[in-house]
Amino acid sequence: MTLTVRIDEISSERAVVQRSLAFAVAPGDVLTLMGPSGSGKSSVLAAIAGTLARKGQATEDGPQGLRFTGAIHLDGSDITPLPTAQRGVGLLFQDDLLFAHMTVAENLLFAVPPGPRKDRQCQVDAALAEAGLAGFGARDPATLSGGQRARVAMMRALLAQPRALLLDEPFSRLDAGLRTQFRSFVFDHLRARRIPAVLVTHDAADIADPAHVMHLESAHAG
Amino acid sequence: MPSLRTAAAATLFLMAAVPLAAAAALALLAAADRAAWQALAQHPLTLQALGYSLWTGLASTALAWAGCAWLLCQGFVRRSLAKTLSALPVMLATPHAAFAIGLFFLISPSGWLLRLVSPGVTGLDWPPPWPTVQDPWGLGLIAALVAKELPFLLWTAATQLLRDDVHQRLAVEHHVAQTLGYTPGRAFWHVVWPQLAPRMAWPLFAVLAYGLTVVDMAIVIGPASPPTLAVQAWQWLQDADTATNAQGAAAGGLLALTVALCAALGLFASQWAVKPMQKAWRNQGKRGVEGPHHKQKESQTGVAPLLWPLLALYGAVLLALAVGSVAGVWTFPRVWPQQWSMGAWHSVWSSRTTLGHTLGLAVCASAVALVCAVAWLELAPRHWDKALRPLLYLPLVLPTVLWVLGVYGLALHTQLEGRWAGLLLAHALAALPYVMLALSPAYQAFDPRYAQVSASLRHGPWRFVWGVKWPLLRRALAASAAVGFAVSVAQFVPTLYVGAGRFATVTTEAVTLASGGQRSLTSAYAWLQFLLPAGGFALAAWVGRPRRFRVAP
Repeated sequence: MTLTVRIDEISSERAVVQRSLAFAVAPGDVLTLMGPSGSGKSSVLAAIAGTLARKGQATEDGPQGLRFTGAIHLDGSDITPLPTAQRGVGLLFQDDLLFAHMTVAENLLFAVPPGPRKDRQCQVDAALAEAGLAGFGARDPATLSGGQRARVAMMRALLAQPRALLLDEPFSRLDAGLRTQFRSFVFDHLRARRIPAVLVTHDAADIADPAHVMHLESAHAG
Repeated sequence: MPSLRTAAAATLFLMAAVPLAAAAALALLAAADRAAWQALAQHPLTLQALGYSLWTGLASTALAWAGCAWLLCQGFVRRSLAKTLSALPVMLATPHAAFAIGLFFLISPSGWLLRLVSPGVTGLDWPPPWPTVQDPWGLGLIAALVAKELPFLLWTAATQLLRDDVHQRLAVEHHVAQTLGYTPGRAFWHVVWPQLAPRMAWPLFAVLAYGLTVVDMAIVIGPASPPTLAVQAWQWLQDADTATNAQGAAAGGLLALTVALCAALGLFASQWAVKPMQKAWRNQGKRGVEGPHHKQKESQTGVAPLLWPLLALYGAVLLALAVGSVAGVWTFPRVWPQQWSMGAWHSVWSSRTTLGHTLGLAVCASAVALVCAVAWLELAPRHWDKALRPLLYLPLVLPTVLWVLGVYGLALHTQLEGRWAGLLLAHALAALPYVMLALSPAYQAFDPRYAQVSASLRHGPWRFVWGVKWPLLRRALAASAAVGFAVSVAQFVPTLYVGAGRFATVTTEAVTLASGGQRSLTSAYAWLQFLLPAGGFALAAWVGRPRRFRVAP
């Protein structure tokens, strides 16, 4: 499973944010995108996830009226025309975004693909155990610690069996000790499941693999 | 499916916006009769009635605004804002008409206030012939309006302040100003209020429009001969003579012009007088003096002293209605009735179709308004939403006596006048702007990343709205439905006019009975008029309660 990204241009009506960007991420690798704010790091993730409108598409513009041209391939097949729900691309934000009206287990179950009930429940229990949270299933997510919530969010993303995972500064809200722990938790899981991932961060300490780092400059040309 | 979405949004537009626009156009058309304007100008009562409207509307708006500002100031100074705001729900849930009726029974010559001090202090054995209600100075109406509008203004301030970002920033700035040596009060007036007040311009406009054009409260407690222009217009509209009807429509138009003119003058004054004065005061740099009684920490805590009389007033009004509804024989100076009676409630029960109409209309109107509002917020592209908001709020700022002509015209064209469906249309159109106002903040504050997370977990849009978004917004949805329900229950003029008088609701009964002197029956209907929306809000609170999770092991 390889993620291939080619972005010709990300722009609004007023400005071009990013142009001519291309990279490929091999299974289990984590590509780190770095750059100043305004360089369009998050927009690159949005383009891969399918939440950024393409040029000429009749949907509403993104937050700053941004649109992009380019193509996203997963394992050779073009996923650019697909809506987010059919791409199989997982997302992890700096906030855990656990659904507040569901228990921890229900949050995880929401991610498991349809199938026999017992199987799905087994997957949830296994995920809880993997996150070191066995027995926490019935809890209100709000009663967990920040680190625990972050791990649940990661397990939720993985249970949907994503073909690629996008990480939008997922470590920035955690304090230093937790950060190191959660970083290796995430990277180990990605490697074990051979999922290609793209990480956006400000912090050089977050870099997963120094061999796979891209520095984005903002393209100021109007 | 962007095209499908746009098509759905366009359908919605046709369903909700077109009736609104048509009603507004028809209303303005009805008021544009030259002969009627001439008759209005020559009518001996017009000028005096307009004077009453201006006096009661402007005085009540100014007092409510000042009271709201002062309560907020105290809330900041005493750090008791949350406590101050927690008293709001009961006050907001009390309908205008029920409040006016309760206040009537409290301050009328045979009311509770005089009974409490008679014959001991006053020496009165009979109700005195004093004009304490429907007084020619409009004071009763002003008091009722202030007591009802002050909580509404506070609530709109709360919706701003309860947004975490705004409140935290203002609280920090308030604190910073104090570190520069300003007293807490000065810090509020110089730093917090100038930032908060402009955000409340629209609610203030709505309060002004309401005060200038209110009908049901003014019928109950306002001046009687002549009444305010809105009540006068309402009487003309109900006349059998069509020329008099046209004069009523023209009076509605005159009221609309008055509202617009007052709002424009107010805006002008705030730009060219209030703001420069605020600035000049601030630029003096005076820090304010701590009063001697402020030195002690104790006096700086607890809720603002103005809140207690207001709460007591609401309590007394509601108690007066409750006791009045079960009072049998109750001769004047006695504080409590000599005889209790369920007679009024028996007659309420025997005409239970009234209750049925009220409930049926309110449930259906709030459901229609909620579905429209949700569909609109989900589907409408942002620039449509922006463009159509002013249209949506038309029913809030147009005088009821004018608006109802438009809705009636609409019902006439669709052959729904005098029918239940026509009434439903009128109530739903009235409820829609309030439901939108109540629901929009929660919708706009909803984190769009939840949608992305749900989609990345391979769920389609339906699964997302049913499984994630609407459950998370349950509280706001339930509260908005309750607001729509309350608005529908409180409709007076549209119910009588569009329903051609064929459908009685608890509100029409209460207001109509209020002038008849049947204390217990009036009280019973007024109490019901309070009970229904209060029940609606209680139900909404129960439906919207946070989920109870199993306690942590």
